[in-house]
Amino acid sequence: MFIIGLAVSPLILSNVFDVEIIQSFSANSLLLGSAGFLVGLGAVIGNGCTSGHGVCGISLLSVRSITATLILMVIGFAVVFVTRHVAVG
Amino acid sequence: MKSALSSLFAGLVFGAGLVLSGMINPAKVLNFLDLFGTWDPSLAFVMIGAIGISIPGFMFIRKKKIVLFASELKFPTRKDIDKKLIIGASLFGLGWGLIGFCPGPVVSSLLIGNEGSLLFTAMMVLGMVCGKYIRKRID
Repeated sequence: MFIIGLAVSPLILSNVFDVEIIQSFSANSLLLGSAGFLVGLGAVIGNGCTSGHGVCGISLLSVRSITATLILMVIGFAVVFVTRHVAVG
Repeated sequence: MKSALSSLFAGLVFGAGLVLSGMINPAKVLNFLDLFGTWDPSLAFVMIGAIGISIPGFMFIRKKKIVLFASELKFPTRKDIDKKLIIGASLFGLGWGLIGFCPGPVVSSLLIGNEGSLLFTAMMVLGMVCGKYIRKRID
């Protein structure tokens, strides 16, 4: 039910409240697919994601969540640094 | 029934937060992660705001032991930093940094007509299934 609410929410916002939803991301299927796979894999192996560890876990002052959030953020910064500034082709 | 409705409501509110804050836009997320380029620090305030509300919220609920829609309150209790946590968070960060989507925002993108989010979600579910098997093999 949470997932249904999550998916329906933007429809309500845009159709009922006229909120403009802006989205842009890579159209490269290989990149999208691999990124999706890694995100799913990592969330299960690491017991959580940006919301689970980053918001809920940190709010419960969990040492595990604070560690996981720091790791995923640092890796995120590193990936963007490499893709945008090092491997610019 | 009550718990299903409260989950639905939580999803609606959470999704609205992701849309209104811009978390739903991967380009904005990548700009947040681009410390040495077009850095957009605004998303940090989404997390800070969410945590700022949740810390007192959780403290209140724990202190008062309020349970509305379940039989008991359940909170995670583990404190050990194990290999799974480190490996999982690293893989997650790798995927997140490549596109700028994480699970919440990609699910809230499913019905607004961007095909890429369908592919991302399908592969994410596959990754989750594989993750269940792989995590058993990491000690």
